[in-house]
Amino acid sequence: MKTITTDFEYLAAATIEEALDLLSQHKDDEYRIIAGGQSLNTAMKHRLIAPEYIIDIKGLSDLDYIKFNEKEGLKIGALATHRSLERSPIVREKYSVLCEMEENVASVETRNWGTVVGDLCNADPAADPAPPLIALDAKLKIASKGEKRTVDAEKFAVDFFDTTVQPGEMATEIQIPVLPPNTGVYFTKYSQMKGDYALASVAVLITLDKKKEICSNARIGLAGVGSTPIRAKKAEEVLKGKKITEALLAEAAEVVKTEISPVSGIEGSADYKRELAGTLLKRVGKEALQRAQKA
Amino acid sequence: MGADGEVREGGIMTEYSIIGKPTPNVDGPAKVTGEAAYTIDMTLPNMLYGKLLRSPYPHAKILSIDTSKAEEFPGVKIVITGKDTPGGKWGLWRRFRELADQQALATDKVRFIGDPVAAVAATTEEIAEKALDLIEVEYEPLPGVFDPIEAIKDDAPMVHEDFPSNINATRHIEWGNVDEGFAQADYVREDRYVLEAAHPCAMEVHNTLASYDKGTGRLTVWTSTGSPYFVQQNLAEALKMREGDVRVIKPHVGGHYGGKNSTMPDCVNAAILSMKTGRPVKIVFNRDEEFTTTEHRTAQHIALKLGLKKDGTIVAFEAKAITNGGAFTGLGATTLFLTGTFITMPYRIPNYRYDGVRTYTNIVWGTSIRGFGAVPSKYCAETQLDRAAKDLGIDPLEIRRINAVAPGYEAPGQYKFESCGIQPCIEKMAVRVKEKWPKLEKDEGIGYCGFAYMSGGIFNWIDTPYAYSSAHVKVNFDGTVDLYSQAADVGQGHNTVAAMICAEELGIGIEDIRLHMGDTAHAYTDLGAWGSRETLMNGNAIKDAAGQIKQKLIDIARLKLGENIAYDLVAKNKRVYLELRPERGLSYYDLVKDAIRANDGVPLTGTGHYTPHNKGMISPAYGMGIMAIKAKVDRETGHVDAQDVLVVHDSGQIINPLGARGQVEGSIHMGLGYGLCEEMPMDQGMLLNPEFVDYKILRTRDMPQIEILDVPTYEPNGPFGAKEAAEATIAPAAPALANAVYQAVGAEFFSNVLKPEKVLKAIKEKEQKDKATPKAKGKGK
Amino acid sequence: MKRELNIVVNGESYNFFIEPKTLLVQVIREMLGMKGTHQACDSSSCAACTVIVDGKAVKSCSILALQVNGKEVTTIEGLADGTNLHPIQQAFIDNWAFQCGFCTSGQIMAAKAFLDENPDPTREEIQMQMDGHICRCTGHNMINEAIRDAAKRLQARDAAKRLPAQKSLQSQKWAQTAKSGKGA
Repeated sequence: MKTITTDFEYLAAATIEEALDLLSQHKDDEYRIIAGGQSLNTAMKHRLIAPEYIIDIKGLSDLDYIKFNEKEGLKIGALATHRSLERSPIVREKYSVLCEMEENVASVETRNWGTVVGDLCNADPAADPAPPLIALDAKLKIASKGEKRTVDAEKFAVDFFDTTVQPGEMATEIQIPVLPPNTGVYFTKYSQMKGDYALASVAVLITLDKKKEICSNARIGLAGVGSTPIRAKKAEEVLKGKKITEALLAEAAEVVKTEISPVSGIEGSADYKRELAGTLLKRVGKEALQRAQKA
Repeated sequence: MGADGEVREGGIMTEYSIIGKPTPNVDGPAKVTGEAAYTIDMTLPNMLYGKLLRSPYPHAKILSIDTSKAEEFPGVKIVITGKDTPGGKWGLWRRFRELADQQALATDKVRFIGDPVAAVAATTEEIAEKALDLIEVEYEPLPGVFDPIEAIKDDAPMVHEDFPSNINATRHIEWGNVDEGFAQADYVREDRYVLEAAHPCAMEVHNTLASYDKGTGRLTVWTSTGSPYFVQQNLAEALKMREGDVRVIKPHVGGHYGGKNSTMPDCVNAAILSMKTGRPVKIVFNRDEEFTTTEHRTAQHIALKLGLKKDGTIVAFEAKAITNGGAFTGLGATTLFLTGTFITMPYRIPNYRYDGVRTYTNIVWGTSIRGFGAVPSKYCAETQLDRAAKDLGIDPLEIRRINAVAPGYEAPGQYKFESCGIQPCIEKMAVRVKEKWPKLEKDEGIGYCGFAYMSGGIFNWIDTPYAYSSAHVKVNFDGTVDLYSQAADVGQGHNTVAAMICAEELGIGIEDIRLHMGDTAHAYTDLGAWGSRETLMNGNAIKDAAGQIKQKLIDIARLKLGENIAYDLVAKNKRVYLELRPERGLSYYDLVKDAIRANDGVPLTGTGHYTPHNKGMISPAYGMGIMAIKAKVDRETGHVDAQDVLVVHDSGQIINPLGARGQVEGSIHMGLGYGLCEEMPMDQGMLLNPEFVDYKILRTRDMPQIEILDVPTYEPNGPFGAKEAAEATIAPAAPALANAVYQAVGAEFFSNVLKPEKVLKAIKEKEQKDKATPKAKGKGK
Repeated sequence: MKRELNIVVNGESYNFFIEPKTLLVQVIREMLGMKGTHQACDSSSCAACTVIVDGKAVKSCSILALQVNGKEVTTIEGLADGTNLHPIQQAFIDNWAFQCGFCTSGQIMAAKAFLDENPDPTREEIQMQMDGHICRCTGHNMINEAIRDAAKRLQARDAAKRLPAQKSLQSQKWAQTAKSGKGA
């Protein structure tokens, strides 16, 4: 069976400062940051990547947190595992869409060791976390030695398996704002085998006005239908300021199809994925609306 | 499941102590503690690791191979190419020498992507892997051919010289007169299908540990195989050694499903490397090697013509198959044969004709995966039957009932059903379906499929001089029993069945029996685990052997009891006693001691064997039944949800209900995969999905609940009335599912693998067809 | 350059010097010679290699061994109590929850970690938890039944010991909020 055959220099960081120091030192080297390594190790086994340095941040327990307050919302540290997000009582209470998403990510064993931030850094365009995070208006905090910046979730991935994180930088946190009242969020992915990699996935956030009649805000995130996860801004505009009906969702679905650029693969053709994205938008939008009405 | 004390055919009440009772796996403790040793777990002192360098081209001449850099790499002990091998060719179709087409390493040319051209043995697996990168091979690529219909054309590239039109095997089967039959039919339809390749996906990859003894010149090989005997023969041919100098041991095997019948390059090259280095050598495939270079289910094109009377009776049936054989024969020629036979079962077909052609192509070869040819062929026949039923206005279960065979049915010159419960199966199905699924929701449908399957094969393509199965039983002074046979438990539970049959015959407990199975050093040959043969064939051999010993015990008991000659004695509950006066008997343990003393101190032995004679061309016995699947279709995504499965099954006397259920469930998992998601897309012979991320199989969340109902019969050719108990149920799953979709939304399919995109397309085509043509009433064509 | 690894496996402490590229499964199978943990794929898709690290089921083929430094690992060899099989192992035998047995160690270890956290699971919960495991032999249903049966046996065993079968505190909180149906 395959093993990792490329030799690399292994550097483990004990603190965040140490990690940022190492990153600064090796800025110009071929390095990879490893957290859970659930994608990285398989890529190395297949010789898809052969880094000279591995900077291991798995030991940074200071970044292993999920915390919420009513002002700043939810903060997910870089070392929080998928499983801890899935099982977090506060997340289940305040942002249940994230738990629902996590329940279907890979397998329990992968979720027990792999991190949410690490998954975003891997930037598989079909991966699950991005669409609900986009819908929730999440931001990623990125740090380097002496510097910090924040990036919108929808701008984090820049291409297949590539993010805006530059050499010397490290993503440290996901920030999700408090949701306004009358907000409902829903996410679903479709794959032929349950819980498998998405052929297409959609997340929709709907905020209703005080009377719960008009949609005051809509955010739509998709994955599996482009070289990165996508925020469907035009489709959002279709919904905003109107009463959401099935007909309106169907209209938004048609607009979504124009905002995505799925790629054909053995799992499905671009045309099918496009159709699928539209179908999912209608279904997810309907659920999100019902949640907003109940909220 | 299982019948205990039920009335059999002939009205004989039979109550068994062990047969028919749920019995835990005798290998259970070893498997649940991780102690069970599979080949992949085995090591020997001073062992080297081997790896194979494989062709990147589907078809190319080998111009030169430079191994010098690899040989110099630290840790590498030897690098070999084709010229360094003994050069023997082998194959399973040994009866036809020209079909022994496999060789250890390619010599003049390569015939598929992955065809091995060199082998390395090194001190670690990593070094061996790295050394492969240092071997320089110069190829001259040749045009390749990948589809069988292309392969038989005049201008197609020749995969093997001396095989014009790339034809590897042909098969013609005929009875009655189809042309007359079609002339008499009220309704005739023709359909063409494309059936895809699928991979067996055993969890334990192919791997071998070979150890050559310099002193004696003998070879011992541990390998993950379904037949140590096949490996022994093939290795002897490949290495130009005597069979008796090759010992093959089958440890626990992590899955087989028909994909480990052929002897593969891991085995032969591990042996050669060991012979050359004088050290044990182990070769383990990676999962991508497993997908790309090991045998898979043969892809086929099938054309069918069906003629029915307007009351639904079949009058004529014609099938043509052209199968994608790939680069070698393997057991693919057998699949060609069986495609043309299973396709007719379990129905009365007065006039039948089959023509099958297997072609060589430049892909890895297609062979005998679980279900043999029944899987692709039933998919076609049963989906066609549903369409015919619809056109004729006949209920789909009813059309199967109308045509179902009865006991004693004979397909002239081909097969005969002695035990045959298909009709009671269908009756039971009709009742249970109404109870189980009284109402269907929107876009739900129920699909049926009848099925039958062999209990081991008859045609001696392996050209063995030995009995098809033999077993040796030895009873020791303390009453413990040693059972020897080369029969293979590959997970199906045969070890447990073997112990049960032996124990039942001797009237003792399984705990008294120690198994010695799957080692060719025990000269009690068995052909291995394929075609569901072990229970019937090895079971008969074991029962024969144990029966001989039982007779000796009965003889001694008769002497000691001195009873009226008219009384029968039975062996049961560790005693031998008068059947009609159970209180009059003697302890098994005492009788064993007496018998050994009376035998000059020699332990009691029996050697049994079984070879079917005069049982037609296919098999001595057939399991059969009917399957129903309820499915729901999502019209917008094309998703097919296999919600629920019901099987009514005649498996004769079930030996172990636990094992039989396990096999039925497992075969349905594989059959549903064939119908939903398992495929092997290739681009110019390159497999596009060689890992489990992309080769999709059903997971636990995708599996429906399965209800199994049993119709017990008594198979006279099998031990205690047993016959095959579960390979049969793989073939009906995909067609029953496709029929359920057809019944639910009217979408028709002419290929398997109902991926959502394909289903959506078929639904849209049906919707358009409905809009275009007004609904036609009455009978079709 | 080799690095030091200190781990506890099945209750025993071990000290190794390993290449950083070494995966946990290699330490278990090759360095410790414990062959009960199997590998069946190269793409982290099958979970046959599942072991328990600090109470969590993880894929040993997908973890650098150095990341397990200082932690406790349990493999299939560590489950039985001497010659007494663990109730999960016995349940697997009694329910014919394996055939070839190659994926079985991974299934059992995952079930162990799962039942420790959720002692009274429904069939659906079992399916959600075990979905990472490929089994080509059983078709999965009989494994789920074995796990359900194992849950009952463990509850009976714990009741006999007068230990309440309690979900972990976090699981309880999570289950409560799940039922309330609140949240976005």
